[in-house]
Amino acid sequence: MTSPAPDFRLAQPRDVQAAVTLCSAQPSSRFLAGGTDLVVNLRHGIEKPALLIDLSAIEELRQLAVLERGITIGACTTIAALSDTAAIRHRYRAVAVAAAAIAGPGTRNLATVGGNLCLDTRCIYFNQSEWWRRSNGFCLKHRGEICHVAPQGQRCHAAFSGDLAPALMIFDAEVEIAGNAGRRWIPLADLYAEDGAAHLALSAEEMVVAVRLPPDPPPSNYAKARVRGAVDFPLAGVAVALAAESGQVVTLRVGLTGTNSRPFLLKGTEAFIGRPLDEAALQRLERLVQKQVRPMRTTLASAHYRRLAAAALARRLAGDLFSQSGAAS
Amino acid sequence: MTRAATAGTGAPRRGVPLIDGVAKVTGRATYTADLDHADALVGRIFRSPVSHGEIIQLDVASARALDGVFAVLTGEDCPHTYGVLPVAMNEFPLARGRVRYRGEPVAAVAAVDAATAQRALDLIEFEVRELPAYYTSTEARAAGAMLLHDNKPGNLEREVHHAFGDVTAGFARADLVREGCISCAEVNHAQIEPHAALAEYEPLTQRLTMQSVTQVAYYLHLMLARCLDIDASRIRVIKPFVGGGFGARVEVLNFEIITALLARAAAGKVMMQLTREENFLTHRARPQTDIRLKLGMCRDGRITACECEVTQRGGAYAGYGIVTILYAGALLQGIYDIPAIKYDGYRVYANLPPCGAMRGHGAVDTRHAFECLLDRMARELGLDPFVVRRANLLQAPTRTMNDLMVNSYGLPECLDAVEQASGWRERIGKLPPGKGLGMACSHYVSGAAKPIHWTGEPHAAVNLKLDFDGSITAFTGAADIGQGSSTMVAITVAETLGVALERVRVVAGDSAITPKDNGAYSSRITFMVGNAAIDAAKNLRKILIEAAARKLEAAPEDIECIGETFRVGSGGQAVLPFADVVQAALVDVGAIAVKGTFTCPPEAQGGRHRGGAVGSTMGFSYAAQVVEVSVEEATGAITVDKVWTALDCGHAINPLAVEGQIQGAVWMGLGQALSEETRYLDGLPAHASLLEYRVPTIVESPPIEVHIVESHDPHGPFGAKEASEGALAGFAPALVNAVSHAIGVDLDELPVTPDRVMEALVEHRRRARLGALRKVAS
Repeated sequence: MTSPAPDFRLAQPRDVQAAVTLCSAQPSSRFLAGGTDLVVNLRHGIEKPALLIDLSAIEELRQLAVLERGITIGACTTIAALSDTAAIRHRYRAVAVAAAAIAGPGTRNLATVGGNLCLDTRCIYFNQSEWWRRSNGFCLKHRGEICHVAPQGQRCHAAFSGDLAPALMIFDAEVEIAGNAGRRWIPLADLYAEDGAAHLALSAEEMVVAVRLPPDPPPSNYAKARVRGAVDFPLAGVAVALAAESGQVVTLRVGLTGTNSRPFLLKGTEAFIGRPLDEAALQRLERLVQKQVRPMRTTLASAHYRRLAAAALARRLAGDLFSQSGAAS
Repeated sequence: MTRAATAGTGAPRRGVPLIDGVAKVTGRATYTADLDHADALVGRIFRSPVSHGEIIQLDVASARALDGVFAVLTGEDCPHTYGVLPVAMNEFPLARGRVRYRGEPVAAVAAVDAATAQRALDLIEFEVRELPAYYTSTEARAAGAMLLHDNKPGNLEREVHHAFGDVTAGFARADLVREGCISCAEVNHAQIEPHAALAEYEPLTQRLTMQSVTQVAYYLHLMLARCLDIDASRIRVIKPFVGGGFGARVEVLNFEIITALLARAAAGKVMMQLTREENFLTHRARPQTDIRLKLGMCRDGRITACECEVTQRGGAYAGYGIVTILYAGALLQGIYDIPAIKYDGYRVYANLPPCGAMRGHGAVDTRHAFECLLDRMARELGLDPFVVRRANLLQAPTRTMNDLMVNSYGLPECLDAVEQASGWRERIGKLPPGKGLGMACSHYVSGAAKPIHWTGEPHAAVNLKLDFDGSITAFTGAADIGQGSSTMVAITVAETLGVALERVRVVAGDSAITPKDNGAYSSRITFMVGNAAIDAAKNLRKILIEAAARKLEAAPEDIECIGETFRVGSGGQAVLPFADVVQAALVDVGAIAVKGTFTCPPEAQGGRHRGGAVGSTMGFSYAAQVVEVSVEEATGAITVDKVWTALDCGHAINPLAVEGQIQGAVWMGLGQALSEETRYLDGLPAHASLLEYRVPTIVESPPIEVHIVESHDPHGPFGAKEASEGALAGFAPALVNAVSHAIGVDLDELPVTPDRVMEALVEHRRRARLGALRKVAS
């Protein structure tokens, strides 16, 4: 059997404003989309919200609009629908590949884009049953005093493990946030903070409504290191967008997930522009990734492996995209 | 793809779908958790939060006082130990005085619903004085380590020291002697159906009815009688549909006894369903194992001597430990002709969930080390891996040095089959970088010839009933746990009688109806129960022929039986249909009940040395396999492209089921080789979900080409031997040998996860650089 879920009330608002209002009125509440992350945590006793606000009846959140000026994806678009959208598969390959690499088919049919972007951070000391965590004295992320991953440290090191965020970031995607203060668009990268216990820069009642991808994207791809070819979260996930002309890099952007408490864009990629992506450049790229990722002992696979794998994947993806651009010859 | 087994006529036989297959795939099969439990109380277990401690206080008063709670039990309520080996029962269903691993059951409640049961658990006050805890064999064996069990010095459950032949002389005449240290992670069965039990106690008659996920209802029956201290005749054990065993459910499990204790205390019905985490805590699977192996070899590949030291981290209680550590040594024999073998085995206690039996019990990790080292030595001598295996074949019939019988031996044909099918000779050494082929062999017993509870009874008994309607019902205690044993019984009965399969029904696994059986373990059912079923069917056939003879006024020896019709052999006379023969047979006696049995003769029951019964069997299955891999050096990811497996099962009674069992064994080997492992953080299982315990998904599952080899065992039912365990142990070494071929790195640890591959590659490159520098310097 599964552990019993805590008691809660369920509300099913019809529009975003109603959902935000409900959430403001009840501090102990959570938005519920696909539930593939939240429900597992509820059964583990990690969260005990008095109210669950089911977003499935909100039409706006399920819109996916392909327009001249880009693509707007409603937060409740399922992962399966996202990876099946032709415009995504053809023009934003990294996003389609990342979506298809999430969990397994059953989960992808339920899980949503907004849910994956707002996925809770993960740690081997945190994603465990109530009995397990209590026997271990809980942890900094929930009810405890110390981080078992870095007991001397001051913050939680749980790793962000969503696959979509880096794949969207490399295109400079923006997200629309709705809250008491109305609506605003922010760069997706600004949604996140490097703190495993508070990795989302959202206030309590705020929710992600949509993601916008700009038009005319460069070629891209995504790859993740994991033990199994399905189901597993990324030990390291890498998205690369690369355009080249006349044997020289024109655009290079690298997004990373699974290695830090937030997904992030690799800094310093502008140094590769205007040059060929030769062996020396690929080695520089590997070193750059190794330097910026901060994997900790949050998974059973070693942190060292995740660092090496992130770098190796970045190198492979960038190298392949450069070759495919025809610029290499 | 399967190379079909052939009947006597040479025509391919496909076999039949399992007789309970339709019920399963249509969702109508009733598993334990599906049993009607609307009126049952919910049982839940309070588990130790610490790895090792003396119980100072266990206060359940508040839990007992809670509304809706019908029973709360602690170790005080059951003073009896339980266990699978009569000589090693050192475990209480609920801990008494001391807890020895995190997750050990300490108290249990029965309440009206799950929420109330949980509230009751939360009210239990538990105080312990913590004791030192050990999580590795080395820590537990260190001088001065506190003993987990006072009567087990050195924290050793059992030491085994066996020596056969002259090992020193063997190594002396070898051209090459090599030693390897190989380590295999602990794995779990991860059977898909979680543990569950439904117990009903009738206070007026003082009778207990127990339905559980068991593989051996007989052991459960014995342990319930022992722990509840009631006469065995008042217990009825029923095995509903079971969703996988793999050894997890051979031993009686603590939650089964706890459920029965709760039902009696509450004077009613209790349903216990464990979470996936609790399944992993219950464990009883393959231990973490360190193997130090030394082999001597001549230039032609002949093995001259073998020295093997095995250390198993067995967990906190004895369980099956003695048998596992004996198997690990005993099954060094029976596959190759090795003139000298020395074995030293150590079964160690540690503060972790107890280990137990798992598919390929005891033999898998040792076989892995052996087949890996064999390949490495072959490479050093410039010999092909197939040549080395062929240089060491046995000749059946024979007896091994440790007195195991080898009556049939299809390993040579298995080697031929996979060598040809994989295109080995044309492809080996010619694959592109990053691709590799590897091979290995393995074997397993067809049932332990000496059962654990030796009572003098036959090894198996099957009853048949023939009634007025012409139906034949076979009654067997053999537990069908998905392996197809009930189908096997139906086929052996139908084929012996020459009747249609549809005429035979099988009733299995209910102690009130079916004769006792020793259960589903050590691949005993096909061999033993199959032989008993054939014996019963022969007895029934004799009765039918005599009835036909009376009716046709002929001598029984003149009666000829073709399918379901009977006639006098000379022909030309009246032909009797089956219904008429049944009618004739029932005259004066009514419904007919016959019985068949099977007994392993004493000479099959192993050597006279201490522990010599373990490994003894009437017939070994043999397997060879070739694995093809691709390795991505950048991420250390291994892809298994294809597997070719050949298994000698003596005779495929049901080729379709045999193919499924072989694929299942290979696939389970794949899991252990690639990704499955338990990992504890200070004794807490970090792997206790199907997310972190990584059984392969369909993405990792390669095409498995199965070749069935039939060596026609002289004692097996229709010549059959086991088919579901033998192919497992060969997968991991074949894979590791293939990886070595692909990237030139020998991996010494299982599973070969990407991080381990990467680590080995980094180390390999570092050594290569160092080597190159030294060369320049010199």
